[in-house]
Amino acid sequence: MNISDIVQVLDGTLVAGGNSTRTVGAVVANDLMSDVLLNDADDILLLTSLASDQAIRTANIVGAMCVVVHNAKPLPQTMCQVADTLGIPLVSSPLSKYESCIRVHEFLSKE
Amino acid sequence: MEYRPTILTGGDTRSDDQIIAAHNKSVRRVSGPTLPGAEDSPLVIMELLQRLRVKDVMRSRNIISVVRTDSMRFAQNLMKRNNISGVPVLENKRLFGILSVNDIIRALEGGWIEDSCQQHMATNLIVLEEDMPLAFAIKYFENYTFGRFPVLNKDRDLVGIVSQRDVMRVLMKELTDELSRLEGKADIGKTSEPAKSEGALPYYSMRQFVVVRNDLSHAGKAANEIKKMLSDAGVDKKLIRRVAVAAYELEINICIHSVGGTITFILDTEKATIVAKDSGPGIEDVEWACQDGTSTANDWIRSMGFGAGMGLSNSKRVADTFDIKSKIPTGTTVMCTFMLSKGENSKPMCNIQKGEVQ
Repeated sequence: MNISDIVQVLDGTLVAGGNSTRTVGAVVANDLMSDVLLNDADDILLLTSLASDQAIRTANIVGAMCVVVHNAKPLPQTMCQVADTLGIPLVSSPLSKYESCIRVHEFLSKE
Repeated sequence: MEYRPTILTGGDTRSDDQIIAAHNKSVRRVSGPTLPGAEDSPLVIMELLQRLRVKDVMRSRNIISVVRTDSMRFAQNLMKRNNISGVPVLENKRLFGILSVNDIIRALEGGWIEDSCQQHMATNLIVLEEDMPLAFAIKYFENYTFGRFPVLNKDRDLVGIVSQRDVMRVLMKELTDELSRLEGKADIGKTSEPAKSEGALPYYSMRQFVVVRNDLSHAGKAANEIKKMLSDAGVDKKLIRRVAVAAYELEINICIHSVGGTITFILDTEKATIVAKDSGPGIEDVEWACQDGTSTANDWIRSMGFGAGMGLSNSKRVADTFDIKSKIPTGTTVMCTFMLSKGENSKPMCNIQKGEVQ
Protein backbone atom coordinates (compact mmCIF):
# COMPACT_ATOMS: atom_id res chain seq x y z
CA MET A 1 0.00 0.00 0.00
CA ASN A 2 1.65 3.21 -1.12
CA ILE A 3 0.65 6.88 -0.88
CA SER A 4 -1.53 6.71 -3.99
CA ASP A 5 -3.36 3.71 -2.58
CA ILE A 6 -3.88 5.48 0.73
CA VAL A 7 -5.34 8.54 -0.98
CA GLN A 8 -7.62 6.40 -3.12
CA VAL A 9 -8.79 4.00 -0.42
CA LEU A 10 -9.48 6.74 2.12
CA ASP A 11 -11.11 9.15 -0.36
CA GLY A 12 -8.34 11.51 0.69
CA THR A 13 -6.31 14.37 -0.65
CA LEU A 14 -2.56 14.65 -0.46
CA VAL A 15 -2.20 18.15 0.97
CA ALA A 16 1.49 18.41 1.91
CA GLY A 17 4.76 16.59 2.27
CA GLY A 18 4.98 15.39 -1.32
CA ASN A 19 4.58 11.91 -2.70
CA SER A 20 6.90 9.01 -2.00
CA THR A 21 7.40 5.43 -3.04
CA ARG A 22 7.42 4.06 0.49
CA THR A 23 4.87 1.42 1.36
CA VAL A 24 2.97 0.79 4.58
CA GLY A 25 4.83 -1.40 7.06
CA ALA A 26 2.45 -1.03 9.98
CA VAL A 27 -0.70 0.91 10.80
CA VAL A 28 -1.18 2.96 13.95
CA ALA A 29 -4.50 4.68 14.69
CA ASN A 30 -4.09 6.97 17.65
CA ASP A 31 -4.49 10.54 18.86
CA LEU A 32 -2.11 10.26 21.79
CA MET A 33 1.37 10.96 20.54
CA SER A 34 3.12 9.20 23.42
CA ASP A 35 1.33 6.02 22.42
CA VAL A 36 2.52 6.49 18.86
CA LEU A 37 6.09 6.88 20.12
CA LEU A 38 5.85 3.50 21.82
CA ASN A 39 5.78 1.72 18.49
CA ASP A 40 8.82 -0.07 17.23
CA ALA A 41 7.52 -0.72 13.73
CA ASP A 42 8.96 0.78 10.55
CA ASP A 43 7.11 2.66 7.82
CA ILE A 44 4.10 3.43 9.98
CA LEU A 45 0.90 4.75 8.46
CA LEU A 46 -0.42 7.08 11.18
CA LEU A 47 -4.19 7.47 11.24
CA THR A 48 -5.12 10.27 13.61
CA SER A 49 -7.62 12.97 14.39
CA LEU A 50 -4.93 15.29 15.71
CA ALA A 51 -4.62 18.19 13.29
CA SER A 52 -1.51 19.79 14.72
CA ASP A 53 2.18 20.21 14.02
CA GLN A 54 2.91 17.64 16.69
CA ALA A 55 1.27 14.84 14.72
CA ILE A 56 3.84 15.45 11.98
CA ARG A 57 6.77 15.88 14.37
CA THR A 58 5.81 12.64 16.11
CA ALA A 59 5.51 10.91 12.74
CA ASN A 60 9.01 12.10 11.91
CA ILE A 61 10.43 10.75 15.17
CA VAL A 62 9.06 7.27 14.47
CA GLY A 63 9.88 7.45 10.77
CA ALA A 64 6.26 7.23 9.67
CA MET A 65 5.66 7.01 5.92
CA CYS A 66 2.38 8.97 5.94
CA VAL A 67 -0.03 10.81 8.24
CA VAL A 68 -3.77 10.83 7.61
CA VAL A 69 -6.01 13.33 9.42
CA HIS A 70 -9.69 12.43 9.53
CA ASN A 71 -13.16 13.94 9.46
CA ALA A 72 -11.99 16.54 6.93
CA LYS A 73 -10.57 18.55 9.78
CA PRO A 74 -9.10 21.86 8.69
CA LEU A 75 -5.32 21.53 8.73
CA PRO A 76 -3.32 24.40 10.19
CA GLN A 77 -0.98 26.01 7.71
CA THR A 78 1.94 25.34 10.04
CA MET A 79 1.13 21.64 10.02
CA CYS A 80 1.40 21.57 6.23
CA GLN A 81 4.63 23.56 6.40
CA VAL A 82 6.14 21.11 8.91
CA ALA A 83 5.04 18.20 6.69
CA ASP A 84 6.70 19.84 3.69
CA THR A 85 9.88 20.58 5.65
CA LEU A 86 10.16 17.07 7.03
CA GLY A 87 8.99 15.42 3.81
CA ILE A 88 6.17 13.48 5.40
CA PRO A 89 3.12 12.97 3.15
CA LEU A 90 0.05 14.47 4.83
CA VAL A 91 -3.34 13.26 3.69
CA SER A 92 -6.71 14.72 4.62
CA SER A 93 -9.63 12.29 4.60
CA PRO A 94 -13.35 12.93 5.10
CA LEU A 95 -13.74 9.50 6.70
CA SER A 96 -13.85 8.75 10.39
CA LYS A 97 -10.79 7.11 11.85
CA TYR A 98 -12.83 3.97 12.44
CA GLU A 99 -13.91 3.77 8.79
CA SER A 100 -10.33 4.35 7.69
CA CYS A 101 -9.13 1.48 9.85
CA ILE A 102 -11.66 -0.83 8.22
CA ARG A 103 -10.76 0.23 4.68
CA VAL A 104 -7.01 0.01 5.27
CA HIS A 105 -7.42 -3.39 6.86
CA GLU A 106 -9.48 -4.63 3.92
CA PHE A 107 -6.94 -3.31 1.44
CA LEU A 108 -3.96 -4.83 3.25
CA SER A 109 -5.76 -8.16 3.61
CA LYS A 110 -6.00 -8.39 -0.18
CA GLU A 111 -2.35 -7.51 -0.78
CA MET B 1 12.09 19.84 54.64
CA GLU B 2 15.56 19.21 53.33
CA TYR B 3 15.67 18.19 49.71
CA ARG B 4 17.12 14.82 48.89
CA PRO B 5 17.49 14.03 45.22
CA THR B 6 15.77 10.86 44.04
CA ILE B 7 17.81 8.53 41.90
CA LEU B 8 15.70 5.90 40.23
CA THR B 9 18.32 4.08 38.22
CA GLY B 10 22.01 4.28 37.69
CA GLY B 11 24.04 5.66 40.53
CA ASP B 12 25.48 8.85 39.18
CA THR B 13 24.68 11.59 41.65
CA ARG B 14 26.51 14.32 39.77
CA SER B 15 24.54 17.33 38.66
CA ASP B 16 23.89 17.72 34.96
CA ASP B 17 26.33 20.64 34.84
CA GLN B 18 29.02 18.40 36.32
CA ILE B 19 28.22 15.72 33.80
CA ILE B 20 28.47 18.14 30.91
CA ALA B 21 31.73 19.48 32.31
CA ALA B 22 33.06 15.95 32.55
CA HIS B 23 32.21 15.41 28.90
CA ASN B 24 34.13 18.53 28.00
CA LYS B 25 37.24 17.07 29.56
CA SER B 26 37.07 13.45 28.55
CA VAL B 27 35.34 12.80 25.29
CA ARG B 28 36.47 12.86 21.71
CA ARG B 29 34.82 14.57 18.79
CA VAL B 30 33.07 12.33 16.29
CA SER B 31 31.79 15.07 14.06
CA GLY B 32 32.39 18.71 13.42
CA PRO B 33 30.83 21.40 15.57
CA THR B 34 27.12 21.60 15.00
CA LEU B 35 25.87 25.05 14.39
CA PRO B 36 22.33 26.22 14.95
CA GLY B 37 20.38 25.60 11.78
CA ALA B 38 19.93 29.01 10.29
CA GLU B 39 17.29 27.58 7.98
CA ASP B 40 15.17 26.75 11.03
CA SER B 41 15.54 30.08 12.74
CA PRO B 42 12.05 31.20 13.57
CA LEU B 43 10.86 34.54 12.40
CA VAL B 44 11.13 37.37 14.85
CA ILE B 45 7.39 37.69 15.11
CA MET B 46 6.97 34.01 15.89
CA GLU B 47 9.55 34.31 18.63
CA LEU B 48 7.64 37.22 19.99
CA LEU B 49 4.30 35.42 19.88
CA GLN B 50 5.76 32.57 21.85
CA ARG B 51 7.72 34.66 24.32
CA LEU B 52 4.86 36.97 25.19
CA ARG B 53 2.23 35.56 27.52
CA VAL B 54 -1.43 36.36 27.76
CA LYS B 55 -0.73 38.14 31.04
CA ASP B 56 1.61 40.50 29.18
CA VAL B 57 -1.22 41.88 27.07
CA MET B 58 -4.34 41.54 29.22
CA ARG B 59 -5.97 44.39 31.05
CA SER B 60 -5.93 43.55 34.74
CA ARG B 61 -6.88 46.86 36.30
CA ASN B 62 -10.34 48.37 36.61
CA ILE B 63 -12.18 45.33 35.35
CA ILE B 64 -15.80 46.41 35.09
CA SER B 65 -18.05 43.63 36.32
CA VAL B 66 -21.43 42.80 37.77
CA VAL B 67 -22.51 40.30 40.41
CA ARG B 68 -25.05 37.55 39.83
CA THR B 69 -27.87 39.35 41.62
CA ASP B 70 -27.47 42.59 39.65
CA SER B 71 -30.28 43.21 37.19
CA MET B 72 -29.83 43.08 33.44
CA ARG B 73 -30.84 46.74 33.44
CA PHE B 74 -27.93 47.54 35.74
CA ALA B 75 -25.59 45.67 33.39
CA GLN B 76 -27.04 47.55 30.41
CA ASN B 77 -26.40 50.91 32.03
CA LEU B 78 -22.93 49.85 33.09
CA MET B 79 -22.03 48.85 29.54
CA LYS B 80 -23.52 52.03 28.12
CA ARG B 81 -21.69 54.25 30.62
CA ASN B 82 -18.35 52.61 29.96
CA ASN B 83 -18.85 52.07 26.25
CA ILE B 84 -18.17 48.34 26.43
CA SER B 85 -19.95 45.41 24.81
CA GLY B 86 -19.70 42.84 27.59
CA VAL B 87 -19.16 42.41 31.32
CA PRO B 88 -17.99 39.45 33.37
CA VAL B 89 -20.22 38.26 36.19
CA LEU B 90 -17.79 38.14 39.04
CA GLU B 91 -17.78 37.54 42.78
CA ASN B 92 -14.61 37.38 44.90
CA LYS B 93 -12.51 37.07 41.72
CA ARG B 94 -14.47 33.95 40.75
CA LEU B 95 -15.94 34.10 37.25
CA PHE B 96 -19.54 32.89 37.05
CA GLY B 97 -20.48 34.02 33.57
CA ILE B 98 -20.43 36.74 30.96
CA LEU B 99 -23.11 39.11 29.77
CA SER B 100 -22.77 40.46 26.26
CA VAL B 101 -24.58 43.28 24.54
CA ASN B 102 -26.50 40.61 22.63
CA ASP B 103 -27.86 39.28 25.93
CA ILE B 104 -29.01 42.82 26.76
CA ILE B 105 -30.70 43.24 23.36
CA ARG B 106 -32.50 39.93 23.80
CA ALA B 107 -33.59 40.99 27.31
CA LEU B 108 -34.96 44.27 25.99
CA GLU B 109 -36.83 42.51 23.21
CA GLY B 110 -38.05 39.70 25.44
CA GLY B 111 -39.08 41.89 28.33
CA TRP B 112 -36.76 40.40 30.97
CA ILE B 113 -34.41 43.34 31.34
CA GLU B 114 -35.26 43.55 35.06
CA ASP B 115 -34.26 39.91 35.66
CA SER B 116 -31.05 39.14 37.49
CA CYS B 117 -27.88 38.61 35.47
CA GLN B 118 -27.46 35.03 36.65
CA GLN B 119 -30.70 34.07 34.86
CA HIS B 120 -29.43 35.03 31.42
CA MET B 121 -25.64 35.16 31.53
CA ALA B 122 -23.55 32.85 29.38
CA THR B 123 -22.03 30.17 31.57
CA ASN B 124 -20.37 27.97 28.99
CA LEU B 125 -17.26 30.09 28.76
CA ILE B 126 -14.10 29.98 26.71
CA VAL B 127 -11.27 31.32 28.83
CA LEU B 128 -7.53 31.84 28.49
CA GLU B 129 -4.89 31.12 31.10
CA GLU B 130 -2.51 33.92 31.96
CA ASP B 131 0.61 31.86 31.23
CA MET B 132 -0.46 30.73 27.77
CA PRO B 133 1.69 32.06 24.89
CA LEU B 134 0.22 34.98 23.01
CA ALA B 135 0.16 32.80 19.89
CA PHE B 136 -2.42 30.66 21.61
CA ALA B 137 -4.62 33.68 22.37
CA ILE B 138 -4.44 34.75 18.75
CA LYS B 139 -5.58 31.27 17.70
CA TYR B 140 -8.54 31.64 20.04
CA PHE B 141 -9.49 34.89 18.35
CA GLU B 142 -9.27 33.10 15.00
CA ASN B 143 -11.29 30.11 16.11
CA TYR B 144 -14.04 31.91 18.02
CA THR B 145 -16.07 34.96 17.19
CA PHE B 146 -15.70 36.53 20.64
CA GLY B 147 -14.14 39.96 20.83
CA ARG B 148 -12.55 39.34 24.20
CA PHE B 149 -11.68 36.51 26.54
CA PRO B 150 -11.54 36.33 30.32
CA VAL B 151 -8.12 35.38 31.65
CA LEU B 152 -7.76 33.08 34.66
CA ASN B 153 -4.78 32.28 36.84
CA LYS B 154 -3.79 28.86 38.17
CA ASP B 155 -6.32 29.18 40.97
CA ARG B 156 -9.05 29.77 38.37
CA ASP B 157 -9.53 33.35 39.56
CA LEU B 158 -10.25 36.02 36.99
CA VAL B 159 -7.13 38.14 36.65
CA GLY B 160 -7.84 40.06 33.47
CA ILE B 161 -9.60 40.51 30.16
CA VAL B 162 -7.89 40.39 26.80
CA SER B 163 -9.29 41.82 23.57
CA GLN B 164 -7.91 41.86 20.05
CA ARG B 165 -7.11 45.51 20.51
CA ASP B 166 -5.00 44.67 23.60
CA VAL B 167 -3.10 42.09 21.57
CA MET B 168 -2.42 44.50 18.72
CA ARG B 169 -1.37 47.33 21.03
CA VAL B 170 1.23 45.29 22.90
CA LEU B 171 2.36 43.37 19.85
CA MET B 172 3.12 46.50 17.86
CA LYS B 173 5.15 47.96 20.70
CA GLU B 174 7.06 44.75 21.37
CA LEU B 175 7.69 44.18 17.69
CA THR B 176 9.15 47.64 17.29
CA ASP B 177 11.36 47.15 20.35
CA GLU B 178 12.44 43.71 19.20
CA LEU B 179 13.32 44.80 15.70
CA SER B 180 15.34 47.69 17.08
CA ARG B 181 17.18 45.37 19.39
CA LEU B 182 17.93 42.91 16.63
CA GLU B 183 19.33 45.46 14.25
CA GLY B 184 22.82 44.39 13.41
CA LYS B 185 22.36 40.93 14.88
CA ALA B 186 22.67 38.08 12.45
CA ASP B 187 21.48 35.16 14.55
CA ILE B 188 17.98 35.41 15.92
CA GLY B 189 17.56 31.67 16.37
CA LYS B 190 16.38 30.06 19.54
CA THR B 191 18.93 27.31 19.58
CA SER B 192 22.40 28.17 20.67
CA GLU B 193 25.77 26.59 20.48
CA PRO B 194 27.11 26.20 23.99
CA ALA B 195 30.26 28.00 24.90
CA LYS B 196 33.25 25.76 24.70
CA SER B 197 35.13 25.67 27.94
CA GLU B 198 38.77 26.57 27.78
CA GLY B 199 41.04 23.61 27.34
CA ALA B 200 38.25 21.25 26.40
CA LEU B 201 39.16 18.61 23.88
CA PRO B 202 37.36 19.31 20.61
CA TYR B 203 36.34 15.67 20.16
CA TYR B 204 32.66 15.76 20.83
CA SER B 205 29.45 17.38 19.66
CA MET B 206 27.19 19.25 21.98
CA ARG B 207 24.15 21.33 21.36
CA GLN B 208 21.65 23.02 23.59
CA PHE B 209 18.04 23.89 22.81
CA VAL B 210 15.78 26.26 24.67
CA VAL B 211 12.29 24.92 25.34
CA VAL B 212 9.58 27.49 26.04
CA ARG B 213 6.61 26.79 28.25
CA ASN B 214 3.39 25.89 26.40
CA ASP B 215 5.09 26.51 23.05
CA LEU B 216 3.68 23.38 21.46
CA SER B 217 4.00 24.77 17.97
CA HIS B 218 7.78 24.59 18.29
CA ALA B 219 8.07 21.64 20.65
CA GLY B 220 9.73 18.73 18.91
CA LYS B 221 12.22 20.81 16.98
CA ALA B 222 15.03 19.86 19.35
CA ALA B 223 14.24 16.17 18.97
CA ASN B 224 14.16 16.50 15.19
CA GLU B 225 17.52 18.31 15.22
CA ILE B 226 19.01 15.64 17.47
CA LYS B 227 17.71 12.98 15.11
CA LYS B 228 19.36 14.78 12.22
CA MET B 229 22.66 15.08 14.11
CA LEU B 230 22.70 11.35 14.77
CA SER B 231 21.75 10.56 11.21
CA ASP B 232 24.55 12.77 9.90
CA ALA B 233 26.97 10.98 12.25
CA GLY B 234 25.95 7.64 10.71
CA VAL B 235 24.45 6.19 13.88
CA ASP B 236 22.33 3.05 13.65
CA LYS B 237 18.70 3.79 12.73
CA LYS B 238 17.21 1.89 15.64
CA LEU B 239 19.37 3.79 18.07
CA ILE B 240 18.49 7.09 16.41
CA ARG B 241 14.85 6.33 16.97
CA ARG B 242 15.34 5.53 20.65
CA VAL B 243 17.30 8.71 21.25
CA ALA B 244 14.76 10.77 19.30
CA VAL B 245 11.84 9.32 21.25
CA ALA B 246 13.46 10.20 24.58
CA ALA B 247 14.44 13.66 23.37
CA TYR B 248 10.94 14.30 22.10
CA GLU B 249 9.20 13.11 25.25
CA LEU B 250 11.50 15.12 27.49
CA GLU B 251 11.12 18.19 25.30
CA ILE B 252 7.35 17.92 25.42
CA ASN B 253 7.48 17.42 29.18
CA ILE B 254 9.43 20.65 29.65
CA CYS B 255 7.03 22.43 27.34
CA ILE B 256 3.80 21.34 28.97
CA HIS B 257 4.71 20.73 32.61
CA SER B 258 7.39 23.26 33.46
CA VAL B 259 8.03 26.98 33.27
CA GLY B 260 10.60 26.28 30.58
CA GLY B 261 14.07 24.82 30.30
CA THR B 262 16.71 23.35 28.06
CA ILE B 263 17.54 20.15 26.25
CA THR B 264 21.27 19.53 26.05
CA PHE B 265 22.48 16.84 23.69
CA ILE B 266 25.99 15.46 23.84
CA LEU B 267 27.42 12.97 21.38
CA ASP B 268 30.78 11.34 21.84
CA THR B 269 32.44 8.21 20.59
CA GLU B 270 30.88 6.03 23.26
CA LYS B 271 27.44 7.36 23.93
CA ALA B 272 24.72 9.88 23.29
CA THR B 273 23.47 11.82 26.28
CA ILE B 274 20.36 13.91 26.71
CA VAL B 275 20.08 16.26 29.67
CA ALA B 276 16.63 17.80 30.05
CA LYS B 277 16.59 20.53 32.65
CA ASP B 278 13.73 22.80 33.60
CA SER B 279 13.38 25.70 36.01
CA GLY B 280 10.41 24.47 37.96
CA PRO B 281 8.02 23.80 39.50
CA GLY B 282 9.51 20.36 40.23
CA ILE B 283 7.85 17.00 40.76
CA GLU B 284 6.44 16.09 44.14
CA ASP B 285 6.56 12.33 43.72
CA VAL B 286 9.12 11.32 41.11
CA GLU B 287 8.52 7.59 41.32
CA TRP B 288 4.81 8.12 40.76
CA ALA B 289 5.51 10.43 37.83
CA CYS B 290 7.66 7.78 36.16
CA GLN B 291 4.88 5.21 36.10
CA ASP B 292 2.93 4.57 32.92
CA GLY B 293 -0.24 6.59 32.64
CA THR B 294 0.34 9.04 35.48
CA SER B 295 -0.18 12.61 34.43
CA THR B 296 -1.06 16.04 35.75
CA ALA B 297 -1.85 17.37 32.29
CA ASN B 298 -4.91 19.56 31.81
CA ASP B 299 -7.53 19.30 29.07
CA TRP B 300 -5.74 21.78 26.85
CA ILE B 301 -2.58 19.66 26.83
CA ARG B 302 -4.61 16.52 26.17
CA SER B 303 -6.39 18.21 23.29
CA MET B 304 -2.98 18.72 21.70
CA GLY B 305 -2.27 14.98 21.80
CA PHE B 306 -0.16 14.88 24.94
CA GLY B 307 -0.62 14.31 28.64
CA ALA B 308 -1.11 10.56 28.46
CA GLY B 309 1.37 10.17 31.28
CA MET B 310 3.89 8.24 29.20
CA GLY B 311 6.63 10.83 28.81
CA LEU B 312 9.02 9.84 31.57
CA SER B 313 8.26 6.13 31.34
CA ASN B 314 8.79 6.17 27.57
CA SER B 315 12.12 7.95 28.02
CA LYS B 316 13.17 5.46 30.66
CA ARG B 317 12.08 2.56 28.47
CA VAL B 318 14.25 3.52 25.51
CA ALA B 319 17.35 4.73 27.36
CA ASP B 320 20.26 2.61 28.56
CA THR B 321 20.45 4.67 31.74
CA PHE B 322 17.86 7.05 33.10
CA ASP B 323 18.38 9.39 36.03
CA ILE B 324 15.98 11.96 37.37
CA LYS B 325 16.32 14.55 40.08
CA SER B 326 13.62 16.92 41.09
CA LYS B 327 13.25 19.63 43.66
CA ILE B 328 10.27 21.82 44.36
CA PRO B 329 10.17 24.61 43.27
CA THR B 330 13.54 24.81 41.51
CA GLY B 331 12.90 22.16 38.88
CA THR B 332 13.68 18.79 37.41
CA THR B 333 16.68 17.37 35.61
CA VAL B 334 16.48 14.17 33.62
CA MET B 335 19.50 12.52 32.07
CA CYS B 336 19.28 9.69 29.54
CA THR B 337 22.28 7.98 28.03
CA PHE B 338 22.45 5.65 25.05
CA MET B 339 25.50 3.48 24.44
CA LEU B 340 26.72 3.58 20.85
CA SER B 341 28.98 0.57 20.97
CA LYS B 342 26.83 -1.91 22.86
CA GLY B 343 24.92 -4.39 20.83
CA GLU B 344 21.67 -3.12 22.23
CA ASN B 345 20.69 -0.83 19.45
CA SER B 346 17.75 -3.02 18.73
CA LYS B 347 16.45 -2.72 22.29
CA PRO B 348 12.68 -3.01 21.93
CA MET B 349 10.70 0.06 22.82
CA CYS B 350 7.58 -1.81 23.84
CA ASN B 351 5.93 -5.17 23.88
CA ILE B 352 3.13 -4.24 21.51
CA GLN B 353 2.67 -7.02 19.02
CA LYS B 354 1.77 -6.56 15.40
CA GLY B 355 -1.97 -6.40 14.91
CA GLU B 356 -2.72 -5.30 18.46
CA VAL B 357 -5.30 -2.57 18.71
CA GLN B 358 -3.97 0.61 20.32
